[in-house]
Amino acid sequence: MLLDPRTKLFLLLAANLMLFFHVSVITQIIMVLLFLVPLAVAGRWKMTANFGLTFAVLTGLGFLDPDAFGLPWLHVVAALSVGCTMMLPCFITGAYAFTTTSPSAFICAMRRMHAPESVVIPCVVVIRFFPTIAEDYRQIRNAMALRGIASGGWGLVRHPAQSLEYIFIPLLMNATNVAQDLSVAALTKGLGREGVHTSRTEIRMRIVDWLMMIVVMIPLVLDIARVIR
Amino acid sequence: MTAEVYSNNVSFTYDHADEPAVINTMLSIPSGQCVVLCGASGCGKTTYSRIINGLIPQFFHGEFNGEQRTCGFDTAAESIDRLTPVVGSVFQNPKTQYFNAKVIDELAFPAENMGLEPEAINHRIVQTAQRFAIEPLLDRSIFHLSGGQKQRIALAAATMLHPKLLVLDEPTSNLDKVAIAEMRELIAQLKASGMTIVVAEHRLAWLNGIADRYVIFDNGRISHEYEASEFLALSPGCIAAMGLRTLDLQPYRQRIALLESQTNERELTASNMGDGSGSASMQHNLAQPSSSNSRPLLSTRHLSIGYRGRDGFSRTIPDLDFYSGQIIGLMGHNGCGKTTLVRTLTGLIKPVSGKVMLNGKPAKPRDLTRTGFLVMQDVNYQLFSDSVREELLLGLNETDPAIIERCNQVLEDLDLTQFVDRHPMSLSGGQKQRVAIGSALMCGKDLIILDEPTSGLDRYHMEQVGELLHQLAAQGKTVLVVTHDEELAAGWCTSIINLEHPYSKTE
Repeated sequence: MLLDPRTKLFLLLAANLMLFFHVSVITQIIMVLLFLVPLAVAGRWKMTANFGLTFAVLTGLGFLDPDAFGLPWLHVVAALSVGCTMMLPCFITGAYAFTTTSPSAFICAMRRMHAPESVVIPCVVVIRFFPTIAEDYRQIRNAMALRGIASGGWGLVRHPAQSLEYIFIPLLMNATNVAQDLSVAALTKGLGREGVHTSRTEIRMRIVDWLMMIVVMIPLVLDIARVIR
Repeated sequence: MTAEVYSNNVSFTYDHADEPAVINTMLSIPSGQCVVLCGASGCGKTTYSRIINGLIPQFFHGEFNGEQRTCGFDTAAESIDRLTPVVGSVFQNPKTQYFNAKVIDELAFPAENMGLEPEAINHRIVQTAQRFAIEPLLDRSIFHLSGGQKQRIALAAATMLHPKLLVLDEPTSNLDKVAIAEMRELIAQLKASGMTIVVAEHRLAWLNGIADRYVIFDNGRISHEYEASEFLALSPGCIAAMGLRTLDLQPYRQRIALLESQTNERELTASNMGDGSGSASMQHNLAQPSSSNSRPLLSTRHLSIGYRGRDGFSRTIPDLDFYSGQIIGLMGHNGCGKTTLVRTLTGLIKPVSGKVMLNGKPAKPRDLTRTGFLVMQDVNYQLFSDSVREELLLGLNETDPAIIERCNQVLEDLDLTQFVDRHPMSLSGGQKQRVAIGSALMCGKDLIILDEPTSGLDRYHMEQVGELLHQLAAQGKTVLVVTHDEELAAGWCTSIINLEHPYSKTE
């Protein structure tokens, strides 16, 4: 049971509004729980658990009182975790929108909203890209292990900057190739063609979609209206 | 005029390139013909296929001269979208030419873009799925299909709009024998329905009997044109002299069968002599007869390989021994476990059960990763540095004179000295492969595994890879090649393991 792509985009927007209005911790917790529901319903158990756990740990760290422990450097940890907690809702809704939507449903939704083609096409390419990146990442990690560079679970932690370089360079190099191939394939199949495009994928706003949007807006509005503090 | 493709004095130079890729090409392809564009790598055949389907000059920019008409449209003057309904295109890489996650969406995609009504689209999908026998795949995710199935879907999607012309750019370079045979059948069927077909290809044998004409490119120009009957009558030497792949795979297949049976036989004599770890074990003793007494670098005992998870599987592997100086070809159709075996042998994944022995002792995956090296099919993943020299010295002490000495030696052996300061990504595919191998040699790896090193290569470059395998074996390395390329396997491997018909004699 999936939500309409437009609802998913709405959730993403709501997550961004949270960041924008700097909502309170209570609102944050409520919203994250709400965001995790559709992710779990979509069958992404592992992702749901990971996000939930990360959020719980970060929120916990944010509550640490460095002065009580007498460890001033804890301020850095607390500040960083508060920052990350604020970003997390965007990641959750983003991951939900982009990993559970098929490109065709997404194209259809964007066109229904009369989004310009210059917005539709890059978004679709991004959706098409996600699975590729995961696969590429695995390949690169294998290649690094064979060369004895930053292999094993701790390798990344011990040499973070170097490891990122080794991962990102091949990843980006490959991404440009894939992007070109995809563009060529899409172009010959008329993705950029002017005129009416149709869709055999049916998308429809259902009651759950409206409900979800309203439920998400309640804590947000209450927070902005300063009812929740 | 009924020519679907008409080129009058067409030339094209890519932006940032010094030399034109295609020069003064004159060609006319009448409706219903199947024409093969062939020639060595970089000869201009792929560029010409892009000129035909309008990607040049509309997507790939550069200097375009001359007149190109495809299905009556002037490709330089009119938008490429005009060609969508009349020209279908299939490309080389099965992984990057589908846009949708599901097969059915991919088939619908071109029709949706043309603005067809949903009922009409569904009707066409049913028709096309029947024609290409892909009904069972319709609801599957394309990501989880095999390369052959992906190319079949690509071909099906390209014909959804019933185009008049089909342009294929090296469609088989990632496919196995069975998938190529299937591709042949589909192309024959499309040709019989009256479609005009242009194929740019290295592998030529599968097109025998379908192609009407062969156009040979050399350095951007058409050097020869043959009717099919003339071309097929050319001597193998003549074909080789033009740098083309063989037209007749039969002798190669015989050689592979021979190597495979010899490999099995050696195993039998070895187990009769009571050699090895027990009478019940099935052993593929792959040694050269002369070296059968020495100890294998790597051997597998009661090994079972596989994955857990959604696409999980597992299979047993006959006991194998790998000696230094051997070039072992690992063959078998896609999905028979070649890649999984290779990943197990290099310690990237754990065996499901059984053992891999290194120099006679049971080895942990970590030790295997230290001993073995895998040259991936997509070698771009394994080049990390800014220059070839840095790539080879990565992780080593750059100030140690002995290491610098060794680096220079490796560079020279691999014919890379002139590229020392180049960025690895600026090199050609074959050069990148050699850099990756160089890095393995610098790490002192004893087992070098290559995954499909010759896919998409012309005869000259394929032979170059073969020579490289030879050179590595002569240095005492154990070389394992995963390949579908029968010409490479027959020409350079010293033994062949086919995982498709695993050895299982009951004696």
